[in-house]
Amino acid sequence: MAARCVWSTVSGVWCLASSLSRGVFQKINKVPLICAGSVQCRGIRQVVEKTDGKTTTIEGISVGASQWPQPPNPEGRCPICRWNLKHKYSYEDVLLLGQFIRSDGGMLPRRVTGLCTEEHNKIAICVKMAHRAGLLPDHRPVLPEGHVPKPKPQLNRYLTRWSVRSVKPILRKGLKWCKVRMPVGDPCLKNNVHYSLKPVYMKH
Amino acid sequence: MSSFSRSAQQWATFARSWYLIDARMQPPGKISTMCSIRLQGKHKPIYHALSDCGDHVVIMNTRHIAFSGNKWEQKVYSSHTGYPGGFKQVTAVQLHQKDPRAIIKLAVYGMLPRNLLRRTMMQRLHLFPDDDLPEDILKNLTEELPQPRRIPRKLSEYTQEERDAFPGIWVPPEDFRMK
Repeated sequence: MAARCVWSTVSGVWCLASSLSRGVFQKINKVPLICAGSVQCRGIRQVVEKTDGKTTTIEGISVGASQWPQPPNPEGRCPICRWNLKHKYSYEDVLLLGQFIRSDGGMLPRRVTGLCTEEHNKIAICVKMAHRAGLLPDHRPVLPEGHVPKPKPQLNRYLTRWSVRSVKPILRKGLKWCKVRMPVGDPCLKNNVHYSLKPVYMKH
Repeated sequence: MSSFSRSAQQWATFARSWYLIDARMQPPGKISTMCSIRLQGKHKPIYHALSDCGDHVVIMNTRHIAFSGNKWEQKVYSSHTGYPGGFKQVTAVQLHQKDPRAIIKLAVYGMLPRNLLRRTMMQRLHLFPDDDLPEDILKNLTEELPQPRRIPRKLSEYTQEERDAFPGIWVPPEDFRMK
């Protein structure tokens, strides 16, 4: 039983400024609207029935790739470059990050997604920061049966560079010239586009 | 305002207002700077250090503040009781569990000028760990200040239409099976 897909075109202006923190997407008409179930399966196939006399052939023809909208920069080597998103995403853009993760929150391998090394690392770091910020509540790891997790203090955090269990408290902060800083964010995102006059500073 | 009567304009200039700030998912440092400015009265053109022109500030949801980075584990609040062996160091997590209002209170205290008026200004700061405020304070509130940090949306908060409208960046290969 192949997945049935209902195609419809959305005419008019399609703006994504709300979903990305910086609205980079150009206005594209005629976006195919894909139903929820079809994205999850192996490949999107359409059922075609052919009758030759006494023989009826029912086959599923994969439709997949040709129906996606064209990226603005088709010469790019990795998906991020093809969509002109190189320095434009952050840990908050969960709609983008959610395309590269498994259902238990782990990253998909680079040979499958086709990302280049630096972008894969950046996306992995952003995914970790999004997990720690609690922005991906449905992508939790599967706990073994009957395992009740210990009650942990529910603390809100964002732009966490290090894992929560691995960090030690700074007992001696040091004098002004040798202060022990608390890092925020990650240096791999230092080249991100920002439109403010103040630089983004990562050593709090 | 030129349309006000003299007495109304006098009252509007010199009255002590009550501001409300919601600290949910906000960094305590930014909340505290906003607070300290209003407690001193520096947001008013009639400011003078001696003229006691500060306003009241009410902060709610202090239990739900958000630190950036790993500050919950790294930030240490130190104090000394005065007795030998009385040096106590407490991480932000432990302090927050003991008293959910202490982090913001200490931050605002450190941002106010170091003079005798500091204690009076701290008395005008009202902190509440959750959003249930007593009625007499609710009656006094005049303005709610906008939150300093934009809260990002969780993936579960996006509607299915928004998720479908977002284009797929990469195409999975034919035989790929895992999600």
